[in-house]
Amino acid sequence: MNAELRADIEAHMALYPDSRSAALPALEAAQRVHGWCSPEAIEEVAEVMGVTPAYLAAVATFYDMLETEPVGKHSIYVCTNISCSLRGADALHAAVRDAAGDDPEFNVRSFECLGACDIAPMASVDGVFVGPLTLEDVPQLLDDIRAGRPVLPDKQLSTRLVADPNANSREFPAHPIEVGSTTDASGGGVSAPAQAPPAESVGGEGT
Amino acid sequence: MTEALLFKDIDEPGLATLDVYAKRGGYESLRKAFATTPEDVLAQLEASGLRGRGGAGFAMGKKVSFLPKGTIDKYLVCNADESEPGTFKDRELMQKSPHMLIEGLIIASYAAGASRSFIYIRGEYVHQADVLDAALAEAKAAGYIGENILGSGHSLSLVVHRGAGAYICGEETGLLDSLEGKRGNPRLKPPFPANQGLYQGPTLINNVETLATVPAIIRMGGENYAKLGTETSKGTKLVSVSGHVQRPGNYEIELGTPSREIIYGLAGGPPEGREVKCWFPGGSSSPVLKQEDLDLPYDFDAMAKAGSMLGSGAIIVVDDSTPILDVALKVAKFYRHESCGKCTPCREGTNWTVKMLERIDAGTATPMDIEIMASVQEHIIGNCLCVLGDAMAMPIGSLIAKFRDEFEEHIEQARARNGLGAVYA
Amino acid sequence: MPRPEPHTIAFTIDGREVQAPENTMLVDAAKLGDVEIPVFCYEPKLGNPVGACRMCLVEIEGIPKLQTGCSTPVKDGMVVHTQSERVKVAQESVVEFLLVNHPLDCPVCDKGGECPLQDITFGWGPGKTRFVEEKRHFVKPLALSEKIAIDRERCILCYRCVRYSQEVAEDYQLVLLERGAHSYVSTFDGNPYVAPFSGNIIELCPVGALTSRDYRFRARPWDIEDSGSVCTLCAAQCNVSLTVRDERVLRVLARDHPEVDDGWLCDRGRFAYPALGEGRITQPMIRDGGELRTVSWERALDEAATRLKRAGAQTGALVGGGATNEEGFLLGRMLREGLDSPNIDSRIAGILPLELHRALNEPSLQAKVSDLEFAHAVLALECDLVPDAAILDLRLRKGVRRHGMKLVRATAAELLESSSELVAKLKEAGEEIVVLWGERLTAGPEGARAAQALLDLAGTLGIADTDNAGLLEIPAQSNGRGLREAGALPNAGPGLSAIDEDTPGGASGLDARAIAQALSEGELSCLYLLGADPLTGAADEQDRALWTKALANATTVISHAMNLSDAIREHADVVFPAGAYPEKEGTVVHPDGRIQRLRPAVAKPGESRAEWQVIADVAARVGLELDVLTGGMASQQLFDAVPQYAGLTLEEIGGKGVRPHERTTAVAS
Repeated sequence: MNAELRADIEAHMALYPDSRSAALPALEAAQRVHGWCSPEAIEEVAEVMGVTPAYLAAVATFYDMLETEPVGKHSIYVCTNISCSLRGADALHAAVRDAAGDDPEFNVRSFECLGACDIAPMASVDGVFVGPLTLEDVPQLLDDIRAGRPVLPDKQLSTRLVADPNANSREFPAHPIEVGSTTDASGGGVSAPAQAPPAESVGGEGT
Repeated sequence: MTEALLFKDIDEPGLATLDVYAKRGGYESLRKAFATTPEDVLAQLEASGLRGRGGAGFAMGKKVSFLPKGTIDKYLVCNADESEPGTFKDRELMQKSPHMLIEGLIIASYAAGASRSFIYIRGEYVHQADVLDAALAEAKAAGYIGENILGSGHSLSLVVHRGAGAYICGEETGLLDSLEGKRGNPRLKPPFPANQGLYQGPTLINNVETLATVPAIIRMGGENYAKLGTETSKGTKLVSVSGHVQRPGNYEIELGTPSREIIYGLAGGPPEGREVKCWFPGGSSSPVLKQEDLDLPYDFDAMAKAGSMLGSGAIIVVDDSTPILDVALKVAKFYRHESCGKCTPCREGTNWTVKMLERIDAGTATPMDIEIMASVQEHIIGNCLCVLGDAMAMPIGSLIAKFRDEFEEHIEQARARNGLGAVYA
Repeated sequence: MPRPEPHTIAFTIDGREVQAPENTMLVDAAKLGDVEIPVFCYEPKLGNPVGACRMCLVEIEGIPKLQTGCSTPVKDGMVVHTQSERVKVAQESVVEFLLVNHPLDCPVCDKGGECPLQDITFGWGPGKTRFVEEKRHFVKPLALSEKIAIDRERCILCYRCVRYSQEVAEDYQLVLLERGAHSYVSTFDGNPYVAPFSGNIIELCPVGALTSRDYRFRARPWDIEDSGSVCTLCAAQCNVSLTVRDERVLRVLARDHPEVDDGWLCDRGRFAYPALGEGRITQPMIRDGGELRTVSWERALDEAATRLKRAGAQTGALVGGGATNEEGFLLGRMLREGLDSPNIDSRIAGILPLELHRALNEPSLQAKVSDLEFAHAVLALECDLVPDAAILDLRLRKGVRRHGMKLVRATAAELLESSSELVAKLKEAGEEIVVLWGERLTAGPEGARAAQALLDLAGTLGIADTDNAGLLEIPAQSNGRGLREAGALPNAGPGLSAIDEDTPGGASGLDARAIAQALSEGELSCLYLLGADPLTGAADEQDRALWTKALANATTVISHAMNLSDAIREHADVVFPAGAYPEKEGTVVHPDGRIQRLRPAVAKPGESRAEWQVIADVAARVGLELDVLTGGMASQQLFDAVPQYAGLTLEEIGGKGVRPHERTTAVAS
């Protein structure tokens, strides 16, 4: 098996008093490598973790983000829970699904509340939250993914200010939170928002 | 409203970095706490009257005090699985002020004597987890996490653990099983986590907002904090307002603020020409309230008295453009999807309820189905292993009770669409 | 490890005051007051209660919400209601919920008539359904394994089978996949569930979701009878209940004995019964013109007697592990008293000096099965439990998992060369130590040395003076211990008595290997095999070669056998049809000394006769009247002959067995 994957899983196992706690991060790591939690992926993780494949299959099938069937490379989770659906999420989901068609690059799913009702209706594109979306946004959303560009940069959640008018005592520009940056207080420029996590950012604690 | 405690200048650029956070006085509360004993810190928390912000509203200080004393391994777990539909306040905190959470967590671990801690963050919050990981790396480098923190003798490890998409992992014992690498099935209680939690050890579990409030309490003193809010609901609370309002988003309010002021004053109320049909005061698990309840103060007791609950502080507003059946179906389908399947009434009851609602929608139901559906909700409530079953049955029960006419009307209209006869003579 | 000491308290249930041990779970405590609280998922053998099915909800005064009786320990003064309106509504609703997806195909379900879901629906259900939606569907039935069928539509998701796989067998092969109403029981990727103890899930299943493929559609509960006995297919001697229809065993179920099997069965014990009926010899045979031909009993008995008389003291006998104590005892008498031959053996390992046999049998050194669970440490010495005494493997796992018992494994070489290290390792865990040792420890030229080392180890560990400590031997053959005690040894009489040199056949005899040697060299001429096959039972290639020669050289081979093995087909001169354990009566001895009773569940096939009767008939023909006319008389004679068994009766042994040394203590105190 992939040596990096093995090392990744072992690094996660080392973080916990009981190495089985690493089941979720390990399956996520295997999913990144294999595209989904295939029987082969599960067997590989099981071998490293010293548990049975059945144990991991039970875990993998429990969680929505772990795919137990082959899926497209780019996940588009359209929230269709109550707050988003009150603002048109069902039509949005249908539109994204239709536009993506049978393009094997895409994994379009209707998802339960993603915790971003302030930008309803919204979607999580490979982990990046965008919204509020209109039906007109759909073509660009897919084009951005296809082109490998940041998705709908103006609609990314990470650039939004809090809604509460009393929160900020001063004027702040909309700005992204750059992960791991040492941005000084004065710098507020818009830089590229964080994308889906590269593999090395996940095991950060152990290194 | 007094000055914001959690949201004060939350959008200041770089606040997620230790540098900016520290310049603003970050980690001073930790130093202040370390200058006193864990018992003193606990006393401040108890004096503050802070109630858990995750949904159950249990007094935080009391929860800390439930942990056994002594030198055994104790755990602190931060519940960052924010999955209650309509709730997104913890997301804002973690993304923009991760060090506030980490600082609160260290102080709480000091009071509880916990030496290992975890932040269980829902897997969908990719960006927020990355932010937390980066903040954690800074905190470690600065000596806030690790052995003998700031020479206090207190040591703490912290791991940011990402979930993978399961609402039930927000239930504290489901979270523990998930954190142990299992399916997130809730556990039978007792034993309670304070005695036998993570890895069978004593475990304190707190919500993000609860822990993030701790530095403010230490800074201002428990008694001063307790001056905010109402007699039984102290302090400020982050409220996520969503659905049919003009300015959906997070607002920090003082507990006891009139609900109308939040929904209309802050969030702008429904779009022009629309009226509030019903609103969920505490996420989709809370029984719905109606327009006449809008003047209730927004606090734990007032919501409970009105037959609902403050829950996670997520207000979902539904205006008069939406059929009540659509609301019921969305809610029921969500809980059916999220039921872990462990206990019978929840697994089968959520499934059955959805099927009945779908039949109403499809026009093959009769009013007797409303009776059955209402009775099924009653049979779920109080009979399940955890609160998920009730989380569907309570709002669905309230929708049936408060909008029975509309359900009946829907049945009639849908039957007529199908060419079926009217059931009311 | 201290076992829980029950403290009796009083509580009230449905208006009745009931005494119960404190902290007993309510569902169990209720039974003491003749109140039944229905359960599905509760099964204490599977570990801590999970409270999943919600069937056992009860009302406890002072607690606002209904509580699960399966997980609520009873306390002094507790007031419990199981018949209140609230409880009734809850019970009815749980049954209604469970039936939402249950197909109600009871008329064609194997479980019908012995189904907890049927019983509880009848007793506690609402009696009607309001569910009119489509139920969930699965492809059914599927083979979960070669032996087990799974019907996922019938499954009520009680978790028992999954918990069994995870918490008892610890194979973690059986899991729940998916979530919520979509959950289903499965293995990984559709693999078959293959494990040494898989069949227990069939008995655990409270509905017809897991059924035995052998038993499917073979009988209805009203067609069958249950008959209790003891499985003698290995030394663990699990207690079983045999399902009998029309004089055939159709199923083997566990008959829970906490001191023997803890309610479990291994797959060999559970699924071997069809093989017990296959290819059976049902008539006596003698060799005629080089071929075995069936003959009348008279003819066969005469032939055997004639040949035995001719051989006299030049006879050797081997007793197989499936033989009862009575059979071994009577054969020993026939050899010693009738033929003046001391050459009888039941041990593959070879004999030990009598004083070692006796020392190892010392009552103060005998561990009992439950000690394996509660001891601080167990030393497993030269034993491989799954093949030798399967069910004890589960007991050790239970000890480790639930009571933190420390398990140490060692070989004979480690015992001989580094016993002080073993002692240190064991003592670290505590004082209560059980040594589980395989008979092969005492095999071969170093056998006696190893036995002495074992006794020394027991001495160092202070086992004789410690409660919950002891030695437990796993004999190589199922009834190895009983046959020794019954006198099927060349150097000891019944009860490990010294051989009296002045009586006929009173000299020390040849052990199994020496018998083979003597046959090969012409010093013995006749071999009597009581359910033994020296070729299939040979210890190694060398042994097999020796026996091949011995069988070829023997003038006469007489055999009691169920099937014609190669050795018997080629070499036997007289063959008597032998019984399988479900056909047998008599007693056997468990490795921990417990005498257990076999009771015939079905008739012997064809013209077969009981072995005790055949031995008595042959003995009579060689001039020795054994005076046994019934199986009971054979047992009585055994009890009279073995000093430790003095005063025992079959009634006293009953369905649960008796450990003679415990009994002596009880009588004395």
